[in-house]
Amino acid sequence: MEYIIHLLILISIWSILGVSLNLVVGYSGLMSVTHAAFFGTGAYATAILITKYNWNFFLTLIVSLAVSMGLSALFGLVLGKFKGDYYALISFGFNIIIFSLFLNWQELTRGPLGISGISRPEILSFSFSNNLHFLILVGCMSLIIFLVAEYVVNSSFGRVLMAIREDEQAISVFGYNTKVYKMIIFMISAGMAALAGSLFASYITFIDPSSFSLSESMFILAIVILGGLANNKGVFWGTVFLILLPEALRFVGFPTDIAAQMRQIVYGLLLLGLMMYRPEGLMGRYKL
Amino acid sequence: MDSIIPQLVVNSIIAGSIYSLVALGFNLIFGVTKLFNMAHGVVSAIGGYTVFFLFKKHGIDLYLAIPLAILFSGFMGYISEKFIFSHMRKKKASGMVMLVASLGLFTALQAVIAILFTSQFQTLSKNVGTTKIYEIYGGIITQTQLLILCSVILITLLLGLTIKFTRFGKAVKAINDDLEVARIVGIDTNRVIAKVFFIGSAIAGVAGIAIGFDTGIEPTMGMNLLFKGVIASIIGGVGNVYGGVFGAFLIAFIENFGIWKISGEWKDTIAFSVLILFLIFKPNGLFKRK
Repeated sequence: MEYIIHLLILISIWSILGVSLNLVVGYSGLMSVTHAAFFGTGAYATAILITKYNWNFFLTLIVSLAVSMGLSALFGLVLGKFKGDYYALISFGFNIIIFSLFLNWQELTRGPLGISGISRPEILSFSFSNNLHFLILVGCMSLIIFLVAEYVVNSSFGRVLMAIREDEQAISVFGYNTKVYKMIIFMISAGMAALAGSLFASYITFIDPSSFSLSESMFILAIVILGGLANNKGVFWGTVFLILLPEALRFVGFPTDIAAQMRQIVYGLLLLGLMMYRPEGLMGRYKL
Repeated sequence: MDSIIPQLVVNSIIAGSIYSLVALGFNLIFGVTKLFNMAHGVVSAIGGYTVFFLFKKHGIDLYLAIPLAILFSGFMGYISEKFIFSHMRKKKASGMVMLVASLGLFTALQAVIAILFTSQFQTLSKNVGTTKIYEIYGGIITQTQLLILCSVILITLLLGLTIKFTRFGKAVKAINDDLEVARIVGIDTNRVIAKVFFIGSAIAGVAGIAIGFDTGIEPTMGMNLLFKGVIASIIGGVGNVYGGVFGAFLIAFIENFGIWKISGEWKDTIAFSVLILFLIFKPNGLFKRK
């Protein structure tokens, strides 16, 4: 039972990541592969504030979101100048730069040793230390994120985003400032990823840089592409599949580290196969 | 002369040589396909690991193992073009779709290597620390590194001459300019592109082997190497073969002198900051393609 709760918590956290990245990649057509940077920034903000300054988890969320969104505004400013392959390449670069900050800014992040002893959220002396309670918290958060994302993409704001994705020039002729739209959605998405990061840090109670590398960003991208670009429900199922896959492989008898590599093989080949035969993902509504 | 500068120069030259091998192949392939081939990095790792497999696991002579490994890397590149990228081109897949596909290929192959050879760091040279060492103006260079440098110069020259003087080279240049037109005037574009993939990947394989002998190989080495190659290409001007080599040495010098005063872990940060600055202020690179 504990094990199932654990998996459900992971699915909730990663579906926040997937849904938020889908806003950028799926709905706005911007190939950002730097999501783990925001995920990590959120996680580190919460971890540092809780362990060093004894803040309450819910208070750290404010800082976590603010820092990540500030960072994303900075990245967005640079990324806004580029399109296509170069956009992807620069987003890789940002992820690698942030990753090496986590790794090398030892005074703040304790580098490769990571930060341990992060406590679970507490509110009015009620602690979410029980995994079931934590699951309820994360589940609610991820549901809220899902609804917010659905609201955003169904609003007029979301329609402009999709128009930008289809033909940026055309929509800017109508007087929409496309740069502002792209920036806002990028920041919203980063804030959501930071929330996932804070939840992750306080759930695992220990974080180190390896969770926020470029391959993590690629994994989140794989979730989005597999599930379906511009389809939040599809992204949810993509998360379920890719989170459960290594567990299933382990269940069949592969050792843990091989199961982890097998997952890489499976999602690598899935990405490849999808790109060759179905570039919109399994349930997608938009072709890359 | 107790200064550190000669050593930094030597280090930069060695790093630059290896980066330029990756950049050469990347540029060649990008030139004809306009594809950001992420799988190019893993091909280097394949080269290194093939030597590891043949030479260290089965004791096959180095003079046989290295050429075999280079051919095998080239072959892997050829296969990826033949069975994946050529089909996607036929379907008119967008650059982004091909990029994600190559990313998928990269992820899968890298994991295969990790399963076959474990994720441990391995070195290719049998007797570490006994290679001959030369001193040039206070900078220390090993025999291996000298060999690497020589092979890079040789490969660059050979490639340059091939492109300039052979029919194949002319076909490559024609496809570089315009694939459709090249096809219309009767060039078998798919064959030329497949050959380019073979040559480019073989050169990337050389880079992987060189690293294996210089320091060591690990399954994840491909990503870092690829990015250095890509950064070098962009700085030099994408699709410009010599520009890529120049960019490789430039980035190697910036990296190695950058960590003169700060710790060595910041190398990647420096390299990517340079890339971003270049893309903002000089997006076409130093040498624009004519």
